[in-house]
Amino acid sequence: MVFPKLFVLYALLVLFRSSLFAATAPDIEERTREIASELRCVVCQNLSVADSPSEMAQQMRAIVREQVEAGRTTEQINDFFVSKYGEWVLLKPKTSGFSALLWILPYVVLVIGVIAALLFVRRIAARKKLAKDSTVPSPISDRTRSELLRQNNIEIPDIEDTTPRAELLRERSRLSTEWTELDFDYQSGKLSESDYQALKYEVEAKAAGVMQQLAAMPAKTVVPAMAKAARAKSAKDAPSPSRFRGWQMVTGGVFLLLFGLALGVMLTKSIRPRQGESDTMTGDFMTGTAPANSEASAALTEGKQAFSRQEFPKAIEAFKKVLATDPNNPEAHSYMGFILMQAGHGDGALMAFEKALSRAPNLPMALWGKGMVLYQDKKDFAGAREIFEKLLKLVPPGEERNEVAKVLAEIPTTGGAPKPNAGATPATMPSGQTISGKITVDPKLKDRIDPQAALFIIARPAAGAGGPPLAVKKIDHPTFPLNYSLGQENVMMQNTPFTGKINIIVRLDKDGNPTTRGAGDLAGEYKKNPANVGVMNADIVINQVMQ
Amino acid sequence: MPIRRLIITVLIIAPILALLAFGFTRDAKYIHSPLLAKPAAPFNVTLFDGKKISLEDFRGKALFLNFWASWCAPCRTEAYDLEAAWRKVKDKNMIFLGVALQDSDQASKDFLKEFAVTYPNGKDESGKIAVDYGTWGIPESFFIDPQGRITYKHVGGIRAALVLSKLEEAAKSIASAQEGRGDYQGVR
Repeated sequence: MVFPKLFVLYALLVLFRSSLFAATAPDIEERTREIASELRCVVCQNLSVADSPSEMAQQMRAIVREQVEAGRTTEQINDFFVSKYGEWVLLKPKTSGFSALLWILPYVVLVIGVIAALLFVRRIAARKKLAKDSTVPSPISDRTRSELLRQNNIEIPDIEDTTPRAELLRERSRLSTEWTELDFDYQSGKLSESDYQALKYEVEAKAAGVMQQLAAMPAKTVVPAMAKAARAKSAKDAPSPSRFRGWQMVTGGVFLLLFGLALGVMLTKSIRPRQGESDTMTGDFMTGTAPANSEASAALTEGKQAFSRQEFPKAIEAFKKVLATDPNNPEAHSYMGFILMQAGHGDGALMAFEKALSRAPNLPMALWGKGMVLYQDKKDFAGAREIFEKLLKLVPPGEERNEVAKVLAEIPTTGGAPKPNAGATPATMPSGQTISGKITVDPKLKDRIDPQAALFIIARPAAGAGGPPLAVKKIDHPTFPLNYSLGQENVMMQNTPFTGKINIIVRLDKDGNPTTRGAGDLAGEYKKNPANVGVMNADIVINQVMQ
Repeated sequence: MPIRRLIITVLIIAPILALLAFGFTRDAKYIHSPLLAKPAAPFNVTLFDGKKISLEDFRGKALFLNFWASWCAPCRTEAYDLEAAWRKVKDKNMIFLGVALQDSDQASKDFLKEFAVTYPNGKDESGKIAVDYGTWGIPESFFIDPQGRITYKHVGGIRAALVLSKLEEAAKSIASAQEGRGDYQGVR
């Protein structure tokens, strides 16, 4: 009988355990999610650890879960992350210390706003009431009003007179002017009925007070000449509501203009398009995290956008603009390379990618471009494999890396054309559509050969003057004598036939840039220029030094 | 009356402007570490040669701890510098330790081979060491004194000269007030 009892006990235990797990596992999950949703992801911007798909966030979630399972409280777990990353890691800042301001300030601002709104509404309502209620009594009698309006007869005190009576007289004069201007403004339509009533009431109330005080004081005679001068000065100095309004308008306008300028400068300097998922949109303005040249940066962005829309002429213009200010910009060179690749100019594309890589040897896009040109255009499989193997090491695991691995697997391990700097004539080239020959260097100039220079073989149609070359071939680090061949695959513009009479020139360029001719570059040309396409012995001697 | 209005307007606008200026002058991604001059978090790491080591093993020595990944371009840039610095101090009472993050074993080993790295290197399997050291951008380097206290932190690529001078300071337990910064790449 012992066995059935034990079995029942075991079954109960299993049942109990499963119900226990059913109750606790979701709790742990829920708490993990709850805590993770209040922690900021350190990789992405404005995403919580719970919502971020990044690997780092996954690792942080695992740590949260582990600590929840260990029975630690939410506060303890938050404190753990704060001890590692600071309060930055909390999506909800703490309610104590300096962070408390972040919680309190919005409410303070809200309360101030509500009070300001209430006061404003109350003031508007009072003005409207005044305007509507025609029975509102005037604070002064008709006699006082007419006395006040008799501006010409108003007694004006001496300018140096600082007695209370003199002060009151000046105030009466000022109120009189203000009253006149108020009437004028109202009649000319500058003031609404309600504003006019409210302002008039204010002036009248003040005037009544002044008149009352003056009446209680003994009269005093004033020298008429002095009075006239003082009156003139008083009229000039007395601030009037309309002058105030003008001043306010100007100040407000200037302030708004400055505010707009400051905001405009800050926004354009501080915000830039994100260059990638891990990039930030803020920077440059004192943070030092942006490209040095904002104009070049804007042109680069414009070029990229045009490139993605396949508007290549526009993209070329933009990238040229970038290269004008930053001649070695690796991204601009890379995009130019892709455009040239698209247009079938393998040599030009290769040159562009090499330019990019000379500045940024690990730029993935330039490596990708160079690898593709070597693989697909030049059939230099060994060179392409070398590039893609390097790229594979740089690209983090993911779709892009898989793509690189896929291309690498496709490249044949043997065969293909020799490296471009071998300078030999490809055997597969149809000889009828090429010009070939040997390039040698004048013995006098042998010492002037720069080992880093690139050789450009340039073909221009004999008939056309100026314009871009018909075909160009670049050979890096050439060794002389060198056999060359120029054909259809070297033409600059796709679908332009490599035929007819052609002038052939060569240049040994120190900086490797075909568009610039530097002093010390060596040059030469085919003596019997123009050559007919199909010539097999268009030999060239490099015998000129560029000045 | 107008002056009062002007003052009120300025009082309202000025804090908003100040707040905007403060926001615009900060790099939102940058995380200032609270770990400077604090005890370094203990860790255990398995080296690529299979040996297991922990922070305790380095007690009494100045330690240079470097987090890296083979896919991180700034890590490649600093790799030769770190090796050169290591060769200068390996006979002193100083030690280098590299910890690879978010990387495959093979890629990490290829990286070490490519740059002929001779100082010990291991892998942070679970990412716990990275979190314990508040890592967010790599390469990240920590200098730990013989008592196990972090004396300096550098986010991004670091040059050999700085490694040597900060290691000398770590050996003397001199903690820096601020962390350093170079070209970095965000962790994934």
